Amino acid sequence: MKKLKPRQRLFVYQLMMYGLAAVFVLVVATQADWPKIQKNFFNTEIAADMFPEVITSAVKNTALYTALSFVLGMVLALALALMRLSSLKPFRAFAIGYIELFRGLPALITLLFVGFGLPIAFSGFRIPGGVLGRGSVGLALVAGAYMAETLRAGIEAVPKGQTEAARSLGMSQTRTMFTIILPQAFRIIIPPLTNELVLLIKDTSLFFILGSTPGTKELTKFARDFMNAERNATPLTVVAILYLLITLPLTFLVRRLERSAAKAR
Amino acid sequence: MTHAIDVRNLHKAFGDLEVLQGIDFTVETGEVVCVLGPSGSGKSTLLRCLNRLEEPNGGQILIDGEDMTDPDADVDQLRTNIGMVFQQFNLFPHLTVLKNLTVAQTGVLGRPKAEAISIAREMLERVGLSDKTHDYPAHLSGGQQQRVAIARALSMKPKMMLFDEPTSALDPELVGEVLDVMRTLADEGMTMMVVTHEIGFAQEVADRVVFMDAGVVVEEGRPEQVLEHPAHERTKKFLRMVSEH
Ligand SMILES: Nc1ncnc2c1ncn2[C@@H]1O[C@H](COP(=O)(O)OP(=O)(O)OP(=O)(O)O)[C@@H](O)[C@H]1O
Ligand SMILES: [Mg+2]
Repeated sequence: MKKLKPRQRLFVYQLMMYGLAAVFVLVVATQADWPKIQKNFFNTEIAADMFPEVITSAVKNTALYTALSFVLGMVLALALALMRLSSLKPFRAFAIGYIELFRGLPALITLLFVGFGLPIAFSGFRIPGGVLGRGSVGLALVAGAYMAETLRAGIEAVPKGQTEAARSLGMSQTRTMFTIILPQAFRIIIPPLTNELVLLIKDTSLFFILGSTPGTKELTKFARDFMNAERNATPLTVVAILYLLITLPLTFLVRRLERSAAKAR
Repeated sequence: MTHAIDVRNLHKAFGDLEVLQGIDFTVETGEVVCVLGPSGSGKSTLLRCLNRLEEPNGGQILIDGEDMTDPDADVDQLRTNIGMVFQQFNLFPHLTVLKNLTVAQTGVLGRPKAEAISIAREMLERVGLSDKTHDYPAHLSGGQQQRVAIARALSMKPKMMLFDEPTSALDPELVGEVLDVMRTLADEGMTMMVVTHEIGFAQEVADRVVFMDAGVVVEEGRPEQVLEHPAHERTKKFLRMVSEH
């Protein structure tokens, strides 16, 4: 065979790849049982039946659980990050221990501890607020550990000269942290923080473990119950699309923020 | 009589590295003192010890008669008397120029907002940047940023100003505007301590020049004396080196 020039070689290679992809699509398209797939995954009647509850109740609950978990997690993360950077060794040790513990456990285990372990340990003590309260606290305990590390990295990324300038103006350590350092740190960590938010949205699907009433189902639980009742997988398709409608814009936003941050540097 | 700055036997070490090895000097109210010395001689460390951004290991620092090194001293309060200007400007990038000038006035000194703003505007006018009030630092040139940094320090109405190589990070064409502001400040009677490599500025503006090397004050005196007729070999060598550049 004659030796091909690099450009021609690339062309042949691409042609082969496109060919392979075309064969794959063709096989799937001809071999799959389309009528059955449509009936079980894209059943418009069943999909229509899910509305409006899937929005007014399920999406609302997912959003509510995510928001509360995020806010509580952020407060916890702030405390942990400041402890982690403290000059007092016991604080640092506690923060490190906490962070490693909760990052090392499956979120499901933490949720079970909060939901069922706490009432046993503290005879009958229950975190108020039902599924919302218990689930959000449980998820916040986990999210706080991750976000604490993110926040610490953000604080450390603020140039030292900022602290020096603030202190030279007579600002106390605390004032410097809250008016000068943290606002800049948060700006730096918006992209990774948005990623944490996306993870949280998906993790709220674990709330089912705490039990549910019709009013407290989030997207995944809502879909599962609907699926079982109808003996049809269409509800999964519907909530999958809803999840993507929420998470994709966020991940696009992150990518844009990261790109503009890279440009600013 | 109390001195504006009175440093006695100041020592500072980073681990085994003794950066300041017994510094003694005074600065009088209204005096402009330029500090010269080769890189690593401890000039920045000295300046940063004065407002305790760096913790001295020994010796005493009196600022307007108040003991800065007293363990019970309210350092935050004492720092408001000492304006500091850094080589890298260190403006707060998330705040507008105006906010940069008011944040410590209101937060630390407790001045009412309206008063803080009017002082800020006055100081911006002094450094010739009244038109930049609502800009963010990133939109300013290096020279403008450093002038804002000077205005920020002045807004606290400090008794004295410390400058650590305020023009070293600037493009050559922007050095002049910053030195002009500093010259005006000196003419108005501000007590100033300036670490600089600008020999010309020291010659023209300084009342006194201090030459440091390896953590000690080698010699000090009138600028024409130290710069034109240095008594010590180390000073001569340094001046030869600087003038070659
Ligand atoms: N935080 C620190 N930790 C350890 N060593 C330090 C620290 N700060 C300064 N030094 C060291 O102390 C010595 C004096 O530093 P200093 O910054 O005071 O010198 P300088 O006279 O200002 O020099 P330059 O003209 O380069 O600014 C240097 O050897 C420097 O490496
Ligand atoms: Mg220096």
